[in-house]
Amino acid sequence: MAGFDEWQILATSLTVAGRAILFGMPLAILAAWALSRPSLPGKSVLDAAVHLPLVLPPVLVGFILLVIFGRRGPIGHWLEQSFGITLAFTTNGAALATAVMSFPLMVRAIRLSFEATDARLFEAAAMLRAGPWDRFWSVALPLAGPGVLAGAVTAFAAGLGEFGAVITFASSVPGETQTLPMAIYAALQAPDGEAEAMRLAGWSFGAAVAGLGLAELLQRWSRRRLAG
Amino acid sequence: MKLEAHGVTVRRGVFSLAADFRTPLIEAGRAGMTVVFGPSGAGKSMLLATLAGLNRVEAGRLALGDKMLDDPAAKVRMPPHRRDIGLVFQEARLFPHLTVRGNLGYAAKRAPPDRPVINLDETARQLEISDLLDRPVRNLSGGEKSRVALARALLSSPALLLLDEPFAALDGRRRRAFLTMLAQINAARGLPMMVVTHQIEDAAELADHVLALKDGRVIACGPAVAIMRQPDFLALLDPRDLGARIDAGRVSGDVGAFGRGVWVRADAVMVAIEPPRGLSARNVWQGKVREIAHEADGSVVVWIDTKAGDVPARITLAALSELGLAVGKPAWAVVKTHAL
Repeated sequence: MAGFDEWQILATSLTVAGRAILFGMPLAILAAWALSRPSLPGKSVLDAAVHLPLVLPPVLVGFILLVIFGRRGPIGHWLEQSFGITLAFTTNGAALATAVMSFPLMVRAIRLSFEATDARLFEAAAMLRAGPWDRFWSVALPLAGPGVLAGAVTAFAAGLGEFGAVITFASSVPGETQTLPMAIYAALQAPDGEAEAMRLAGWSFGAAVAGLGLAELLQRWSRRRLAG
Repeated sequence: MKLEAHGVTVRRGVFSLAADFRTPLIEAGRAGMTVVFGPSGAGKSMLLATLAGLNRVEAGRLALGDKMLDDPAAKVRMPPHRRDIGLVFQEARLFPHLTVRGNLGYAAKRAPPDRPVINLDETARQLEISDLLDRPVRNLSGGEKSRVALARALLSSPALLLLDEPFAALDGRRRRAFLTMLAQINAARGLPMMVVTHQIEDAAELADHVLALKDGRVIACGPAVAIMRQPDFLALLDPRDLGARIDAGRVSGDVGAFGRGVWVRADAVMVAIEPPRGLSARNVWQGKVREIAHEADGSVVVWIDTKAGDVPARITLAALSELGLAVGKPAWAVVKTHAL
């Protein structure tokens, strides 16, 4: 078995991608909501910032994270001093790197369903005494709900395969940060590792396809819901 | 309680709205019904949206009772959800993620706690939507949607209810039923209303006050009796709609079927120069010819001053000369009940 524990690798991958969605989601929903407002000042700047991880080399993103969240980085140092939280080279660090990389994907999917929501319904809610925050929770979010879930699932599936940023920021520690792609890479480096790499690739492929399928189902639900 | 607009200006694209008016909402303990009347494109919906706070007022002042809604000079702009004004939109705008009951509950939950609680099931019964309560809103018919939207607005217990022609999509009997319901709710709940319509019959039936709009300007505002016979109000009408508002009490027939007034079209009125006999028509009003107006299409409109009010009758030129009608001569206006 070339020293690979497939269950542990799969569990690490799921944990990292899952936490990435958990960390990224609230912020992604906020960013998507802001971007879906037609009259937001500084919208293009925010839009560009959200899409940055898509165009930067993943290794660079990992490096930037290391500079900021590493043990000697400004935030990393503060987190460690104040709360004893270390991010670099930990599962949470891998999740953070994954969250940053999949952030544009989440924001895009969520923004689409916010934009597809009939804005006249917000006016109707306002006329029933719902304030802006109330309207967001009681109308915008429930209507966009399936779209938000679809974004989460797509980002989750993509997050399972994140490599460059994660390996730079969190390295490849078996049981901590060694996710499927890193294990595949490691297996390919090992002599006679091709068979193992193939098996891991199968897992990776299966997880990605399952994620896509689920996202598609949620998208359909979302369209039905928004159609009223 | 009054609604007052002083020099209110609103702009949207190239269209601008100018409103200067004052209309009583509650008078001597009775809730008023103001009809916002005007041709399509006059700015009726825009006026309502402005009152609701959905449009930005550029200049002027808008006040509901002693509450200032908009006063840009003093940086006052009360957000829609704090205005205590309800609005039933032309399209029902029901929340698609909630059932009918969910939509009604949404409003009831947010009603001010210091107002008497409005019973959801009772309101549903009154608007005949009890059987729909657990249905999703997407399968409702147009009439059902309008009634749910009205029930929802009532349950939020506003101080003033605006209605942007929610009955526009309804026809015939359903439309009449909706209007009757509206008048009943206005009276029974003491809830002042402002209703948009471009149908003169609706205006006559509902209004105790009329606010007339033309090309984005409020051209008249006052009691229906006075406003609906002013020449500049009549000029808003399609020539075929020319007529007069007669108090419902003056009209023979099932009075309960009429609201506050009835619009008697000039086309539906016959003229007699002596007391008509052996006639099935139920409404015969005696009077004197006040005015004879020659219309562009060659017809003649004879205005007869009767105790029911001024009644116009459209007749042909031939009929005019045959009857020998002239200003000051006695005449009888004859109207079939079913022509109303």
